[in-house]
Amino acid sequence: MLNHIEKGECVRTPKVLSIQSHVVHGYVGNKAATFPLQYKGWDVDVLNTVQLSNHPGYGKFTGHKAKASDVYDILKKGLLGDLNMTYDAILTGYIPCTDTLKLLSQTLGDACKKDHRLKWIVDPVLGDNGKLYVSDKNVPVYKCILRENRLFMVTPNQFEMETLTGMGITSLESLRQGFIKFHNLYPLVERVVITSMEITISDDNTDYLVCACCDFVAKPDAVHYFKVPKLNAHFSGSGDLFTALLLDCLLHPTAKQPLDLSHTVSAVLSLVDDILLRTMDLTLSKGDFLTNKPSVINDLKLVNCLDLLAQPPGSHTTTRFRPTSIELFR
Amino acid sequence: MPRLLATQSHVVHGYVGNKAATFPLQCLGWDVDCCNSVQFSNHTGYGMDKVFGNVTEKNDLDQLLCGVLGNFPHEYDALLSGYLPNKSSVQCMGQHYRRYRNANPQSIWLMDPVMGDEGQLYVNEDVIPEYKKLALSPSCLVDIITPNQFELEILNGENIGNSEQMKSALLKLHATIPVIVVTSCDFKMFNDPEHVYIVTSMRGEKPILLRVPLIKSYFTGVGDLFSALLLDRIYKLFSSNDSSVRLEDQVNDVLNVIQKVLKKTLSYAPKLKTAKMGSASDMKDMELRIIESRDLYEGDGSTSRKNFIYRKL
Repeated sequence: MLNHIEKGECVRTPKVLSIQSHVVHGYVGNKAATFPLQYKGWDVDVLNTVQLSNHPGYGKFTGHKAKASDVYDILKKGLLGDLNMTYDAILTGYIPCTDTLKLLSQTLGDACKKDHRLKWIVDPVLGDNGKLYVSDKNVPVYKCILRENRLFMVTPNQFEMETLTGMGITSLESLRQGFIKFHNLYPLVERVVITSMEITISDDNTDYLVCACCDFVAKPDAVHYFKVPKLNAHFSGSGDLFTALLLDCLLHPTAKQPLDLSHTVSAVLSLVDDILLRTMDLTLSKGDFLTNKPSVINDLKLVNCLDLLAQPPGSHTTTRFRPTSIELFR
Repeated sequence: MPRLLATQSHVVHGYVGNKAATFPLQCLGWDVDCCNSVQFSNHTGYGMDKVFGNVTEKNDLDQLLCGVLGNFPHEYDALLSGYLPNKSSVQCMGQHYRRYRNANPQSIWLMDPVMGDEGQLYVNEDVIPEYKKLALSPSCLVDIITPNQFELEILNGENIGNSEQMKSALLKLHATIPVIVVTSCDFKMFNDPEHVYIVTSMRGEKPILLRVPLIKSYFTGVGDLFSALLLDRIYKLFSSNDSSVRLEDQVNDVLNVIQKVLKKTLSYAPKLKTAKMGSASDMKDMELRIIESRDLYEGDGSTSRKNFIYRKL
């Protein structure tokens, strides 16, 4: 078990700084990441870039952005200054304000250069389904972050991967080329996990999403991809949950070494799938399951999944989503 | 799962306010919707010159609560309010919570009237009349209030020096509020430096005195953890048909959990007992071990132990 006192000594509690959005109601951004990480034993420092009543998927919401200078002061003068925090990992997600993004990336980049053990995971939140939902000024800032920093992992979705590489991804071949181009543009990025893509793999059927990953450090010559059956529902926050759980599986002090990225992705996909299935069960009525139209599910049922979150990493059946490997360079 | 709206402070690092309340309640199965009245790097015990961040401005807080309670007008089983930095934030919370509680009579509202401790105010004086209005007005909608003795005296308008005065202050406050838990009494009340004394009082019943061994150290956020756990236990008390479980049993259960969390916290940092306010590294070591205490929040069950119940007040 995590954090339990063994032989009279305390197991070290890992620390992560998570910089994302806050919603009062529901589970996206920091609300989706914090509880699962805490439940898995992480001391999470939670820095909120915005505070909204709920996520925009509801149609209407209220809220406000944190001022760039406040966020900067908290990080630079507070956490990294007076508090002299040493984190095992830093996770950055939704940072809509360009000024905030610039200030944070400068500071975090410096911190990573000073301390090589510090692992920065960047979810380059730009948009989804072909549309930007932050200012287009954020795109060059992210390109610069990816180019100039040794990042432990980057977790774009399909649209973000396309935006960052400047090329469309529609097939396994373009996926392969996308990874090559990404690595050429951002050679310091150590790992990439593309969280979900709609691409055609073969003619059999199209009822799946594709997740793909590459560990440029341990296995620089192979991309692994997974076919994940589509659920008949749209979820908010599932990507944020996925990235947080990946962080846990890869960086928790009890994680198996050496890391195997594709096995970890496989385990996390299973866990997220279980959480989504339970969320559907608890949210939808029988009638919803009978219609073909995908349901919109606003809120993950995270506090109903304590039993799933309690399982140690890797205990999830890793065969449910088996990776297929493709050679990066032919 | 029950759902709760909590309006209090947020610290990026450490465990006070919403950071102390949220995780334990989530572990107990609550969906916790947090409305943050401030976002600070850390709590103020680190020294005021070491606190960065901002107070949520009046208009922002109002808009936020408008959005939350407009979009989810009936979703909350419970409302929790704790530290609010100034008059306008107390007013704002009060207006929105009153409106919600009024429209949803089955919900419960726990108000921790955070104003100060041991004779010292740590909010602006203009907050006092706002809490008085919320707690004492004939149309008061607060169900549970958790003042310490100093805060009770402020609401009461008179000092409390002995049990009789305490009883009459409770009686006065019961005119508007059904459940009162005095989270700590002044040392001079019972002349016992080895224990912390707590009073639970249900309207129409005799107040009960509980005492717990004092753990000597300065912890921050204990009150916030207490009010969160108390809300959980009282919600369960009110929803259960088991009339043998009483308020003092539930408070006893919460106190056991808190003792264990404090012991867990101490076990991680032995030098805690000599920690100094204002020293960032000492303060860091003294943060409650909320995460490491994950499996403690459930408690032992309210009826199994009554170890801290002392006597009638």
